[in-house]
Amino acid sequence: MDITVNGAAAQVSADPATTAAEVVRDGLGLTGTKTACNAGVCGSCTLLVDGTPAASCLLPATALEGRTVTTIEGLAADGPHPVQRAFAAHDAMQCGYCTPGFVVEAAAFVDRYRAAHGDTAPDRAEIAAAMAGHLCRCGAYPGIYAAIAAACAGEHDAGPDPDPAPPRAEAADKAAGRARYTTDIRPEGCWEAVIVRSTRAHALVESVDAGGAVHVDLLGADRTVRYAGQPLLAVAAPTAAKARAAAEQVAVDYRDLPAAVDPAAARQAGAPLVYPSRAERSTAPGHNEGAAPPARWQGNVRGPFSLGRRSATAVNRIRAAARDGDSRLVTGVFETAVQVHTPMEPHACVARWDDTGDLHIHVSTQAVVAVAEAAAKRWDLPRERVHVTAEHVGGAFGAKQWLQVETIAAVELARAAGAPVRLVFDRAAELTDAGSRPGSRTEVAMLAGADGGLAALTMDVYSDGGVAIGGMAAVLGRLMYGRAPRRLRDFDVATNRPPAAPFRGPGGAQLAWALEQSVDEMAHRLGEDPIALRRRWDGNPKRHALYDWAAALPVWGERTRGASTGRSRRGVGVSAANWIYMLDPAAAVELVVEDGMVVAETAVQDMGTGSRSVVAEAVRTELGVPRERVRVRAGSSDLVDAPTSGGSRTTASLGPAARDAAARLLAKARELAANRSGPAGSGGSGGTAGSGVLDSAALAALEGLRVRGIRRRDRRGYALPFAIPGLGGIGRGFTGAVHVMEVEVDTLLGTVRPTRCWAGISAGRMYAERPARNQCEGGVVQGIGYALYEQRRDDPLTGTVLTSNLEDYRIPGIGDTPEIEVHFHEQGWEHVPGGGVGIGEVSTIGVAAAVGNAVFDATGWRPHDLPIRPDRLLEGIGVK
Amino acid sequence: MTADNTGSIPADVASAAAALRGSAAEARAGGTDLMARVREGVAGAPFVDLFRVGALRGVEWRSAGSARIGALTTVAEIAADARLRAAYPALAATAAAVATPQIRSVGTLGGNLLQRNRCPYFRSAAFGCLQKGGDSCPARAGDHLHGTVVEQGAECAAPHPSSLAMALLAYDGASVEVEGAAPRAVADLYDGADSTRDHVLEAGGLLTAVVLPVPAESESAAYRRATSRSHGEWPLVEAVARVVRTDGAVTRAAVAAGAVARTPIRLPEVEQAIIGARNPREAAAAVAGVPAMCSPLPQTGYKAPLLRDTVRDALERALA
Repeated sequence: MDITVNGAAAQVSADPATTAAEVVRDGLGLTGTKTACNAGVCGSCTLLVDGTPAASCLLPATALEGRTVTTIEGLAADGPHPVQRAFAAHDAMQCGYCTPGFVVEAAAFVDRYRAAHGDTAPDRAEIAAAMAGHLCRCGAYPGIYAAIAAACAGEHDAGPDPDPAPPRAEAADKAAGRARYTTDIRPEGCWEAVIVRSTRAHALVESVDAGGAVHVDLLGADRTVRYAGQPLLAVAAPTAAKARAAAEQVAVDYRDLPAAVDPAAARQAGAPLVYPSRAERSTAPGHNEGAAPPARWQGNVRGPFSLGRRSATAVNRIRAAARDGDSRLVTGVFETAVQVHTPMEPHACVARWDDTGDLHIHVSTQAVVAVAEAAAKRWDLPRERVHVTAEHVGGAFGAKQWLQVETIAAVELARAAGAPVRLVFDRAAELTDAGSRPGSRTEVAMLAGADGGLAALTMDVYSDGGVAIGGMAAVLGRLMYGRAPRRLRDFDVATNRPPAAPFRGPGGAQLAWALEQSVDEMAHRLGEDPIALRRRWDGNPKRHALYDWAAALPVWGERTRGASTGRSRRGVGVSAANWIYMLDPAAAVELVVEDGMVVAETAVQDMGTGSRSVVAEAVRTELGVPRERVRVRAGSSDLVDAPTSGGSRTTASLGPAARDAAARLLAKARELAANRSGPAGSGGSGGTAGSGVLDSAALAALEGLRVRGIRRRDRRGYALPFAIPGLGGIGRGFTGAVHVMEVEVDTLLGTVRPTRCWAGISAGRMYAERPARNQCEGGVVQGIGYALYEQRRDDPLTGTVLTSNLEDYRIPGIGDTPEIEVHFHEQGWEHVPGGGVGIGEVSTIGVAAAVGNAVFDATGWRPHDLPIRPDRLLEGIGVK
Repeated sequence: MTADNTGSIPADVASAAAALRGSAAEARAGGTDLMARVREGVAGAPFVDLFRVGALRGVEWRSAGSARIGALTTVAEIAADARLRAAYPALAATAAAVATPQIRSVGTLGGNLLQRNRCPYFRSAAFGCLQKGGDSCPARAGDHLHGTVVEQGAECAAPHPSSLAMALLAYDGASVEVEGAAPRAVADLYDGADSTRDHVLEAGGLLTAVVLPVPAESESAAYRRATSRSHGEWPLVEAVARVVRTDGAVTRAAVAAGAVARTPIRLPEVEQAIIGARNPREAAAAVAGVPAMCSPLPQTGYKAPLLRDTVRDALERALA
């Protein structure tokens, strides 16, 4: 059939079940258009059809007949659309995977709006309604609001030529749909792979028959599946349709075993065991970043892992207080739901063996170096013969940290097929078996002494990570609120449900939900301002600065006290958060001068966190050159080592290495200048103009030169003298956050709307201020999702994940985003070269507790269970 | 397949109806529901594509001032049509609240009325259920947080998903036209006691239009839905209220609700109770009896008060 795509006539063939998105991406190779949810929810696939935005993942391809289609690529046919400029200028993106869809929709909206209203900015509600069909998992919504408003106001019609460099190094590529992700890679002759997954919660797999398809077995040696959705094998075929057909032909014989799918029931004596033997228990995957700490098993319960301070004293004080009915004893049971990472780009890998036996892996990962090392080991190759590429990564949040099943399967199948193999998770797999934050049940008791100080704390956290173990939430409570006696115990409850994985601040969000609401409750018991109480209890000087900032906010000073009445009630809540400072001492950055540009090279993958921008800004600042003069080449294991982007360690590792490299380049420049000008030092052109500033002549003199910067040690060294396997180095000092959240509660329909949020972050100097702010804003958005909407729901009988699409698994949209103000407290990290560390985790873990405290402030009812759904809120406030 | 395979796509009502008649094919309009079910592995070809049937698109105004809306008219067109908004504000406001802009611009009136339910058990290939030829409802034994709260005799616990059907139910005399068959009332498109399907249009039937009654004069109306998030979410409960006032007092009222039962429902008790009201504050008393009409499932108890309060909210806004 005939269609017009981006102004050119195209002839395409379409099977009745084919979608418009498939025609555009797979048929025409226009990969700027992304598909993420494949259910018409997230808008990543938005196209203009006869000028109107449509979700192309559900649009039958046949319906394009005779129509005019504009893709993200076509939008910029005559130079960037003003919306594309605005998105880059306002940093309206992080990972960028949803960006093409947002841009296409926003372009149509902006053109329509300006035609009707002239060059004025619409209000937030109007933008939110127009963008309601788009989801950004990174939560870059504040920048999107700003970009669309500015584009409507005509602020980006024609920039200077060329456009000024945006705050994010790769922003223009992302806004134009040029940025290439793993899912966009399709080498010549590439086969497609599909994973066949268990339909049973617990079974012995007696046989699997792939019926002659090229396949790889993915079951463990014990031939046991322990959750519905567990990979059994993967098949590959020359086309996606054939691969799907082959997958459907796979015959599996299961012998069902009793399954434990409900965490409460799994704790009972006599419950079916997920891991009946010691040997099986040793195969349990971990959901924390390091190795799971040692602990005993009793049935399906593992633990406790304890890390207290004077535990017996804490327990005795709390028992006595309970016996005496002490009003300074706060107790509670808090639960959190399983939260799924669900990055917009699913787990994906394209693997290829070349003629010389080298292995080439494109993978959506937050760990190109670790994947290369693990692949070299697994396939017994020298490390330099494994080439892992992740040029752009469409979000990760902790779920893409290792050599995982998509890569193992694709590499094996590529070898078996003798062809490149591409394996992309569908959204159901992404929402089922690609990572989640474990649910938790926390029992807290907190006692204040007669002096108002913290006298004792006990916390037992039961982590619900499915078949995965390694909960470390309670023990993080050791790091906050002074040195008072405390007993902190972590337990795992194993069930026949999909494994959890580290998720942005592992353990921290669960801890904060219980701890920060308990502190809030204590403040109310003591009749004290919740910020003032925290300030008294918390010894961290950097967080003291944040408390002072928060207490001085007008919203805090002006909040009304006492329960309000009426249908709509406003509340303000506060929470504090603490995170560990981690780094990779082996990180390196190389600089090479090419064509008068400074090119920074490092293996680091940028999942949208702004790692490229951190390196670029560190180099640019040190060298004193304009942004346009610095480029970053990243996302390849062939470049010098960079850390896994987890544990908020990337910036703390690479920032200093980039500065060091820049300092070395400057030294070279000075050396050259000194040699050229002779001992008299007469100066002249081609020098470093003043202190540390390279002009273009100086750059030209450095052409071809390469230097390597390393991660220099912190002053006074690190908190631990050695690196922990899987965790790396731990440095001195903690990052901190204080969130102040304002909400509006509709007591009639049960909704909680966050209206404004102030995020105070203490992590030292920000290398790239705007991307850093963006990440903190995203942390607020994800925390709101955790607080109000997100909950993986599983069938209580079979353990099958029911929320296997982005309609049923609910992540926050642009309309759910409050106005957010980020405040960086930049002092206190002078011992770290560069003066700043990472913010990814500390910026999100306390947010849900701030929402909970705000709901309490608004209604007088304290939510204990996440998410705070309308039904729970209505029940909590007593609506009958 | 090649371009030739699109040659059999019907271009007029008669050939579309002929293609559907006696065939196992499902009619495909915007595809927003059907293609999602295809993706989830619970539906598949063959389809009869309707996009070429231009005669099914658009609004026709009859001499008495009533509208006949073609089945392929998009939800966005209904929401944006100035004359529809003036004549049938409850319908237009409901259309404006459906799904998201991209879905509204593609999804059609007919597709909205005939779409399948949102129960995750129905939409997942991993489960059997009464709607897929099974003999029990896995949601009843499992997760039915979003299930029904008003009993209509079905074992299936999935509420009806069509917001537009709910809005149309609030118009006495609104009917649907089916090619080759007699027009029928909107309510007759659904059977709340039937657990095996979401509408009772005969297999192979082609819904061609919705015919609305002559608009009420000086009507005011409001649509409300209860959701967690601000946009783009299926309602926990939705309601629409239409009131006509004479000298400030309500003389006629129509109230319908959705997401609570196997079909959209009318609430005649509330309609009766609001007659004579002059002030939005009187809505609370008019809806007080709603929870008593509910028979919640174990997980849907919250929907009884939420139905009451969503209806109240819609009434208050209509009366404001």
